[in-house]
Amino acid sequence: MSNPQKTHAPILKVEHAAISYETRYGDVEAVRDVSFDVHRATTFGVVGESGCGKSTVAFGIVDFLGANGKIVDGSIKFQGRELVGRSDAELRKLRGDQISMVYQDPMQALNPSLTLGDQLTEVLTIHRDISNQEARERSIEMLKRVYMPDAANVMDRYPHQISGGQQQRVVIAMALLNNPALLIMDEPTTALDVTVEAVVLDLIEDLKRDFDTAIVYITHDLGVVARVCNEVGVMYAGEMVEVGSVEKIFGEPLHPYTQGLMRCVPKLGSTKEGSILYPIRGRVPAPKDRPKGACIFAPRCDYATDRCLSEKPGLISYREGHLSRCFYSDEINPEDWSPSSDMISSFSPQETAPAGEPILKIDDLKTYYDQESKSLLSLVGMGEKLHVKAVDKVSLEVPKGKTLGVVGESGCGKSTLAKTIVGLETPRGGTAEFLGFDLSVPVSDRDVKLIQDLQMVFQNPDSTMNPSYTVGQQIGRPLRHLGKMHPSEVKEEVIRLLNAVRLDGSYYKRLPRQLSGGEKQRVGIARAFASQPELVLCDEPVSALDVSVQAAVLNLLLDIQRDHNTTMMFIAHDLSVVRFFSDYVAVMYLGHLVEIGPAENIYSPPYQPYTEALLSAVPIPDPTAEQKHIRLHGTVPSALNPPSGCPFHTRCPRRDLLPDGGKICETEEPPWQYNTEEHRIYCHIPLEELRTFDPVVTSR
Amino acid sequence: MFVRDYMTRHPVMVEPNMSIVEAQDIMAETKVRHLPVAGEGKRLLGLITRQRMRIPPTELASLNVWEITRYLSNLCVKDVMVKRKNVITTIPDIALEEAAKVMTEEKIGCLPVLEDDIVVGIITEIDMMTLLTDLLGGYEAGVRVTLRMPNQKGELAKATGAISDQGWGIYASGGVKTPKDPGHWDCVIKVRDVSQEDLVAVLEQIEGHEIIDVR
Amino acid sequence: MAAAEKASLPKEQQKSRLAKLWDRVSIIFESKVALIGLIIVLFWVFVAIFAPLLTPYTPTEQDYTAQNQPPSRAHPLGTDSLGRDIWARLIYGARVVLVMLPISDTFWLPLGTAIWGVLLGLIVGSTLGLMGGYLGGWVDEVVMRILDAMMAFPVILLYMIIIAAVGASATNVVLAIAIVGIPGIARLVRSLTLDIKTRDYIRAAETRGENVWYIMFVEILPNARGPIIIDAMLRVGYAIFAMGTLGFLGLGMPPPSPDWGSMVAKGRQFILSGSPWAALWPSVAIASLVVGLNLFADGLREESLRYQ
Repeated sequence: MSNPQKTHAPILKVEHAAISYETRYGDVEAVRDVSFDVHRATTFGVVGESGCGKSTVAFGIVDFLGANGKIVDGSIKFQGRELVGRSDAELRKLRGDQISMVYQDPMQALNPSLTLGDQLTEVLTIHRDISNQEARERSIEMLKRVYMPDAANVMDRYPHQISGGQQQRVVIAMALLNNPALLIMDEPTTALDVTVEAVVLDLIEDLKRDFDTAIVYITHDLGVVARVCNEVGVMYAGEMVEVGSVEKIFGEPLHPYTQGLMRCVPKLGSTKEGSILYPIRGRVPAPKDRPKGACIFAPRCDYATDRCLSEKPGLISYREGHLSRCFYSDEINPEDWSPSSDMISSFSPQETAPAGEPILKIDDLKTYYDQESKSLLSLVGMGEKLHVKAVDKVSLEVPKGKTLGVVGESGCGKSTLAKTIVGLETPRGGTAEFLGFDLSVPVSDRDVKLIQDLQMVFQNPDSTMNPSYTVGQQIGRPLRHLGKMHPSEVKEEVIRLLNAVRLDGSYYKRLPRQLSGGEKQRVGIARAFASQPELVLCDEPVSALDVSVQAAVLNLLLDIQRDHNTTMMFIAHDLSVVRFFSDYVAVMYLGHLVEIGPAENIYSPPYQPYTEALLSAVPIPDPTAEQKHIRLHGTVPSALNPPSGCPFHTRCPRRDLLPDGGKICETEEPPWQYNTEEHRIYCHIPLEELRTFDPVVTSR
Repeated sequence: MFVRDYMTRHPVMVEPNMSIVEAQDIMAETKVRHLPVAGEGKRLLGLITRQRMRIPPTELASLNVWEITRYLSNLCVKDVMVKRKNVITTIPDIALEEAAKVMTEEKIGCLPVLEDDIVVGIITEIDMMTLLTDLLGGYEAGVRVTLRMPNQKGELAKATGAISDQGWGIYASGGVKTPKDPGHWDCVIKVRDVSQEDLVAVLEQIEGHEIIDVR
Repeated sequence: MAAAEKASLPKEQQKSRLAKLWDRVSIIFESKVALIGLIIVLFWVFVAIFAPLLTPYTPTEQDYTAQNQPPSRAHPLGTDSLGRDIWARLIYGARVVLVMLPISDTFWLPLGTAIWGVLLGLIVGSTLGLMGGYLGGWVDEVVMRILDAMMAFPVILLYMIIIAAVGASATNVVLAIAIVGIPGIARLVRSLTLDIKTRDYIRAAETRGENVWYIMFVEILPNARGPIIIDAMLRVGYAIFAMGTLGFLGLGMPPPSPDWGSMVAKGRQFILSGSPWAALWPSVAIASLVVGLNLFADGLREESLRYQ
C-alpha cells in the first residue's frame, strides 16, 4: 500500500519547556528550553549523559515529577491539548487512556502479588465494558504479539517467575493494550542483556509499525538510538542542543557536543591500533553553575568565541528539520577537527609488541557455589548437593603485557572468574598459576608479593571508595600496608599516582562525595596501581560511566599499561569497548569458555555461533551499518542444571547445520577447534563451514 | 483495502465537559475538522465538527450582548455535539468502498471507527481522497493511459496481458462504466518503466480498445 | 595552602574549617524538633555541671522545720518529707546521671552513668554486630543466639536481676545499662554491616589482603556511624528512664543519694495529702530529659534523611 506519510499534526509538541525542582537551597533548574515534536509512527530519541535532564523531560510530559518538581515554563501539547497546568484528575485520565510509560525496571510497573493475567486483564476491564473472558483472550493475543513464549501459561504466573526480559515484554504489552497514542520509554532495555535487548528493540519496531504509536525513547546508548530512533534530540546540561533525523545526527552532527560524542563512542570494528577515542574535556556543569546568558557548552567547546560566552544561542534551524544550538554550526566541519596538544602525546596509536611469555595460566578451572537445597532431606544432611557451576572447565593463558577481554552476558561466570583469580573465591578444581604462585589459595592466605602483583579495579564508582576517608588516605593505604613504604614518602608517591591518572595534587584531601563518577574511577585505578602490580583485573570499569568519561578512563588505562607493561584482564559486557581495548578476547557462556583468540579473529568469521549471535545483537552507533539479524530465543538455562553436551545447544541458531538437527550437540561436549595457533572455537560444526559465514557487521 | 488501512489511528479527541473555545483551539492547533467526543476509556459519546459549532439563532434571539458573551463562554462541547445515537460510525474490517457509500449517502465528512464502542480511529473525506489517489497511482511516476473497451468479460485481461507480456509493471488501475455509454468501460492504467510511445504502440494493437488519453 | 591552589578547589573546600563545621552543625537548626530537644538536654547538662553554684543547699541537708513545703522563695521547688530542697536534689541527681561517674568515694570519671553505660554497650554491641554481620557463618549464628537469649528478658526484669545480683552502685548501674543495650545495638550494627559489606571498597580491602579486624573496624564501622549515633542518643534516654524505674522500685542508688527515681518513690505517699511536689518535680525531670533526647535524635534523623 503506497500512501505517503500523512501530514498530520504532531501527537506531542513540546515548546521551550523548563522544569525545576525545589530543594533546600532554592529552586534547581533541571531542564531549560527543550523543544521537539513527535509524530505518529515515529520514534523520537532523547539522548544525553547522566544529569542532562532527559528522564526529567520524560516524566514531565505526564507530570510524574514528584512533590517538589514543577514545570515552570513552556508548553507541552498532547494532541493539540495543553498539558501544563492541568489538574491531577485530568492528567490521570489522559495517562490511562492515551499515554503509557515503560520504565527501566519492569518491577516498577508490575505488582509482585498479582498474576500477570490479572494485571493484563485489569488494564482492559477497567476502561471497557468487556467480559473477563474476552479481556483474557485479548491479553493472550497481545502477549503473543510481544513474542512471549507459552503465552497462555504465562498468564497464570507471577512476575518473579519470569525473566527480566520477559517482564519487560509484559510491561510493554500492558502499555499497548489500551492502544495509546503516545508511548514514553525511559531506558527500557538498559538493564537487560544484549541478546534480550535486541529482541525487545525488534519488538518496539514492529509495534510502532502496527499500532502507529508515537514513541519517545530516552536513552544514553548511542547504539540503541541508531537502531530504533527515527529522529533524535541531543540533550546537554538541561538543554536540547541538537535535533534532527537519526541519519543526520550520526552522519553530519552540527553541534560540537554531538560531534564530541561521536568521537568518543567505540564502534564495533575499530581496533586499539586503528582508532583512538577522544574524550570531551571538562565536566558537565552542576545545575547551579549553568549560566543563563551564555552557551552552556562553551567552557568545554573547542570552537568557543567571546560571543558564545556572552550570548545564549537558540535552537537555530540550519537545514530542513535539523536544528542546532550553536552560532557556528555552519562553519564547523568535524572532519577538520584535530586533538588538542594535551591529548596528542598520550594517545598515539600503539604498535603491536610481540607476545611475551604467558604470565597467567589457567587450566580446567572450576568454581562452584553450593546451593542450599530446600528439600527436607538436606536438613538431615542427606540431600543432593546442588552446585551453581559458575566457572566450569575454563583454560586460558595471558601473555605478559597484553590485555585479555572477557565478554559474556549476565550469569556467564566472568565476574566469578575474576574473583577466583584475585582470591575472593576458592576454585573447586583445576589449576591457576601466576608468576609461579598458585592462585587456588584464598587471598587471606596469600603471599604479600602475590597480592602486590595482582590487583583489581571495580565496576561501580560510587562504591569503589570508602566514603569516610580522603582520597589520599585511600591511595596511601596499599602503599603503607603492602609496600611497606616509609610514612614520609607515602604522600609524595600518592601525588605521583594522582598525576598519573590525570588528577592534580589538590585531590589528596578530598572526600569521595566531592568527586564525579569518572574521577572516583580514576582514584580506584590509582589505588589498584599503587603497588605496581603485574596483573590488573578490571571488572567492568567503565560500564557505569558516561560515554564521554568512558573514553578518558579507557585511554588512561591504555597509557598506564603501556608505561608499565602491565598485563590486564578486562571484563565487560559491551562488545565495542572490549574490541577497542583488548589484544585477546574470550567469550563465555554459562560458565564455559566458547571462543578465545586475538581480537581481530573474534570479530570476524569463523565465529562460534554464540559469538555470532552476540555480535548481531549489539546495537551499533551507526544507522547506516548493516548488521546480521540473528536472534536467540528462549532464555539462558539455569546454571544449577546446565544442559548436557554443549551448553549452548538449547538456543543455538546454527544447530541445523549438523546432521540430525544437531543431535551431537546435546550428547557430546564439543571439541576445541583451532582456527589459528592462538584462536580456538568450542563447537561441533566443522571449521571449514564456520569459515564460510559472512561477517556480522559491514559498514558502508 | 479496509477501513483499518486508511483510517487515522489515535485521532484527536475531546471530552464532553470541555469548553467550545478550547475545542476550537485544538481544532486550529491540530488542523482537524472533526473531533470525536470521548469519555472514559475512549468510549464514543458524540461528534463535533466545525459546522456544529454554529449556534442555532433561536437560542441567541432572546439574549442581549452581554448575555451572549457569557452564554458563549460557558458553552460546552456536550451542548453542541452530535449525540452518540445520531453519529454514524463504522468498524475497521469494513471494505473502504462500503464506508465511502455511507459517507456519500449520509452526506457526512467523517466516520469514527469503533471497536466495542471504543474509538480506534477516524476515516474522513481526505482519507478517501488519498485512497483515490493511490488507486490511480497518483503518487507514482509513470505513464497513465485511459483505455475504452467493450464492457465484456476478458477485455481487461487483454490489456493487462499485453502490458505484462512486454515485461512492464502496472502500478495501479481503476475502471468505471463509461459515462453515458453502458456498452463500454473506461479503465485507467498506470505503467512504469516504459515510454509513452512504446506503450501506445502496444495498446493500439488490441482490437476493440480505444486509447482515450495518455499522459 | 597557597592561594592559587586554594582557589582551584571547588567552592566547598575553600571555606575554612570552622565554616565547614558550622555547615554540619547548622543541620540542627533546620529542624525545630531537634532544636527544642537540644535546648532541653543542654539545660540539664548545664545545671548538672554548675550544680553547686545554682543552689545554696546540699542535697542531703535536712531541715525538719520545712517538711513538704510547696514552692517558695526559700525553696524554689519546695521540700520533701525530710525537709531537703527538691531543686538541689534534682540538680545533684542530674550530676550522677549525666556528668559524673563516682567509681569510689574519692575517684570519679567525667560523663555520667547513663552515658558511660551506653558507651560500654556501644563498644561491646558494635563488636558483636560487626563480627556477626561480616564474618557470617557459625560466628553469626552464635552471636545471634546470644543476643536472642538476652532479648528474651523484658528490659526491666533484666535490670532488676542484674542490680539485685551485684548490688546498687554507680558502676553496677553502668554495667546494667550496657548489658541491656547490647542486643539492640548489636542488631543494628549487624544489619548495617550486612549492607555495607557488599560494597566494592570492602572487596578492594579484601583484595589487598587486609585482615578481618581492620576491615570491620576501619572500613565498615565509620560508615555506620550515622544511625549508631542517633540510636545511642535514644538509648541514653532509655537508660535514664530505666534508672528512674529502678530507683522507684528501690533498686536505685542507696539513700541519701539524690536518685530521681527513689525521690518519686518516697514522695509518692504525700501526693494525696496535698504535697505532690516531692513526687512531681523528679517525674517532670525524668520525662523532660528523656523527651529532650528523643526529640533531638528524631529531629537529626529526619533532617539527615530529608534531602537524601
